[in-house]
Amino acid sequence: MPPPAGTLTPGLASFLSSLKSSPIETSVESLVSLLRRRQIRGSRSCAIATAHLLRMVLRNIPVRDVTKLIDRVQQIGQRLAEAQPKELAIGNILRRILGLIRDEAEEDRDREAGGYGETGIGSRNATSITSPDRQPGPTEKRSLLAPNTSTTAPAITSLFSPVPLKSASPTSTPGTHTPGGGSPIAAPLSSTPNTAQDLRAEVVEGVQEIIDELNQADDQIAGYAIDHIHSSEVVLTYRPSMTVQRFILKAAAKRKFTVIHAGPFPNDHWPRRLAGNPNTSLDDDEGNPERFQKSLTVAGVTVVMIPFSAVFALMSRTSKVILDPHIVLADGSLVAPAGARAMAQAASMHQTPVIVLSGVYKLSPVYPSDVKTLIETGNPSSVVGYDQGSLLEKIDIKNPLFDHVPADIVDLYITNLGGHAPSYLYRIIADHYRNEDIHLMRSDLE
Amino acid sequence: MVSILASDQDNPDGSKSNGQGKDSRSSEAQDHSKAPVAPNGNKAIPEKSAAQKNEKPSGAELKKRAKAEKAAKRAQSKQGQQAPPNDASKSTKPENKKLSDEKESIQSSPQHPPAKLQHRRSGSASASSQRPLQLRPGQQQAPAAEPESRKEPQKLAFISHLYGIPRRTSIAGAGKDVHPSIFALGLQMSNYIICGSNARCLSTLLVFKRVIEAYVTPPNNSLPRDLTIHLSAQIDYLKSCRPLSVSMGNAIRWLKLTISTIDPDTPEHQAKTKLCSAIDNFIRERITVAGQAIASSASSRIQDGDVIVTFAKSSIVERTLAEAYRQGKNFQVIVADSEPLFEGRNSAIALANLGLQVQYASINTLSHFVQDATKVFLGAHGMMSNGRLYSRIGTALVAMMARDLDIPVLVLCESIKFTDKVALDSIATNELAPSHELGFVGTGVGKAGEEDEWRSASNLVGLNLMYDLTPAQCIHMVITEYGSLPPSSVPVVQRLSTNT
Repeated sequence: MPPPAGTLTPGLASFLSSLKSSPIETSVESLVSLLRRRQIRGSRSCAIATAHLLRMVLRNIPVRDVTKLIDRVQQIGQRLAEAQPKELAIGNILRRILGLIRDEAEEDRDREAGGYGETGIGSRNATSITSPDRQPGPTEKRSLLAPNTSTTAPAITSLFSPVPLKSASPTSTPGTHTPGGGSPIAAPLSSTPNTAQDLRAEVVEGVQEIIDELNQADDQIAGYAIDHIHSSEVVLTYRPSMTVQRFILKAAAKRKFTVIHAGPFPNDHWPRRLAGNPNTSLDDDEGNPERFQKSLTVAGVTVVMIPFSAVFALMSRTSKVILDPHIVLADGSLVAPAGARAMAQAASMHQTPVIVLSGVYKLSPVYPSDVKTLIETGNPSSVVGYDQGSLLEKIDIKNPLFDHVPADIVDLYITNLGGHAPSYLYRIIADHYRNEDIHLMRSDLE
Repeated sequence: MVSILASDQDNPDGSKSNGQGKDSRSSEAQDHSKAPVAPNGNKAIPEKSAAQKNEKPSGAELKKRAKAEKAAKRAQSKQGQQAPPNDASKSTKPENKKLSDEKESIQSSPQHPPAKLQHRRSGSASASSQRPLQLRPGQQQAPAAEPESRKEPQKLAFISHLYGIPRRTSIAGAGKDVHPSIFALGLQMSNYIICGSNARCLSTLLVFKRVIEAYVTPPNNSLPRDLTIHLSAQIDYLKSCRPLSVSMGNAIRWLKLTISTIDPDTPEHQAKTKLCSAIDNFIRERITVAGQAIASSASSRIQDGDVIVTFAKSSIVERTLAEAYRQGKNFQVIVADSEPLFEGRNSAIALANLGLQVQYASINTLSHFVQDATKVFLGAHGMMSNGRLYSRIGTALVAMMARDLDIPVLVLCESIKFTDKVALDSIATNELAPSHELGFVGTGVGKAGEEDEWRSASNLVGLNLMYDLTPAQCIHMVITEYGSLPPSSVPVVQRLSTNT
């Protein structure tokens, strides 16, 4: 079911604009088909679409029970994840949101513990070792009711009104913490007599924070650029990426250096644009090669375009390799556009540091037990066009789009939280996802 | 062309565009001897007088002259289409004006700053050293409109030594002594019609045979001495089209040695016959038979069920695979390939046409296809004396990945490609091809009509290296006609092959 987009081509933009006007079920269906058709692709786009959809779901679904809310979100998330099992970012966002709901519910239960005892959500709330600093709200005990006693009608109206005030707005503390499970959520100050509404408001706000984080991740990562790029450095990048572009531009504002950009034949190849196939996916987080070159060139960075095959030859003159992953796995390895493995390997052979720029939304609690399931295969016609008939007839052509890069050839991860060693990523992942969701998603994906 | 050449000599400010003044000591010496022929500061010498001055207009020379003339006409018509004449040109003579236009366009050509030229310029303003350079076709079309407006792309400091003189793409301004078949060969090389170390070496030798056949010893000179000089002019022309390959260098060294050993008293036709048969022998021994030996040795290492990865196109690897297939072995081939040349496509088609099971992949997916492989066969452009492999750019990546996955890497290389040079990285020694061949939009030489301001910005550079250097530790075995050996034994074989 394509979205009722007027002039927009189907994609993230059209989906987001149609989200408000369509019923939830239609939106879910439309996102599922957009994902299936790869009209929304790339971790960031998928994450944004998922977060927006789930926020809509949380706002609109009449749910009296936290358990049911979790079930509902899980069910929708599962459909999305199944629609595009290789986009792990969908699962990451789903886990974050589920974690939010659970945390909120737990918080409520804790507050209630003295007065009302079990609220019916305890069974789902396994004790979490991953979120140590959950705050109990000591002053709120009296106002809490069991969720199943709430009425839904006022809940919806109140949810459309501005969310309750919070002590920390997401924009005021960029980079210091990310919303989601594990991070302390301020205790609600409202005295609404309805826990479910309350909880939902909190959760919706948490989702909004996740969305803000998605939008700010690149800038926050770019904030660390000055720490890593020094003057007259030679930086090697691969594939045009918004994250890398912002990172480099930030450094370019203060330093003079050279960027070697390995041309991403066969995918995202420049002539594709010339061949009358305009890159319409402006929301694509993989960026647009033209824009990448242009913005860097205009900023005064020397941009050297090389074919991928020259990566090894130039590695001896490269001082840093910067990669933008598709997804980062729990062991510190990453999935990145095909070629990244060879690039990182060449870098490690030359003792050149490899820096991976990844928003926290790309960190997935999945371990690479079966890497091949994560590798998407692309259209072979971009390797050999249909004009090369004789070649196509007799020869097998494969075009895997991604590589799995093992953690030991990566030197540094920079997320919106700061720089981390690959060996430390597990900890950040543990901070952001709850244990029960990790396993839930594993079984969903299988 | 003769007329243009002559006026080129006359041009007093020729120093500016002295593009080709680089290499040839010998050809310059020759030109010196002929320098008085072209009086300074006069208008174009008519063709007749030029012909008179040439001692013996042989058939070949006449042919060459005709060809040169045609080229001149072509060049002139091209000039006519080009940008409006530059007022700054110092001469008012029509020919000179055209020439200076041409020079302007050369100077504004991206990889060709005047400073460099002056630096490169040799002492004498000799005739043949002032070849009006032509840009390569892709460049030519676009800048014809307004070459002056384009800023020169910045030169990268760390490869600045590789920016030489842009490759020649036309025969305009070539020396008088260059044989027509050398013209053709040069163009074929610079356009990659003849590409690959073996093919270039072979074709050079064959063409030299024709040059030698057409050669006539001038009076008061001996064949061993003059033929070497004559060949040097040919070699310089070839060099200006594309730098010589390692194999060509070795073959030329051998040929010069052979010529020098000819007794000066030998009758000319006898000496020529002797030389031609020596060249035939050389080709047979060092290329044909060596190839057979390597193919049979390497194909014996292919077993049933093998998956062989190869990169780009190597005649010797193709031959080996074909040989193994003929022996009835059941194996698969994965041909890896890379832009901009896509040599692997030809290789893949050729092998598939033989009946092999071929898979084709782009180099950036190499972590996937190398994983599937059981052996990697690589061709060579040259084998360095320190055991490193100098080959088509991208080879090192494949070898590195294979080594990382513990897959044997076998290099198939005739001893003619062994060199006594050593190298540690791909930057110090390399060949820089024109960057527009990469086909990126923004390489400072974007296509006409598509040019935005930024695309011609000086800080957007395309870098098109031809070769890279594979470290010796990534190579498990080098198969030559002398046998299979580790890369550390390369210098031994090199000595062996040059002593015999």
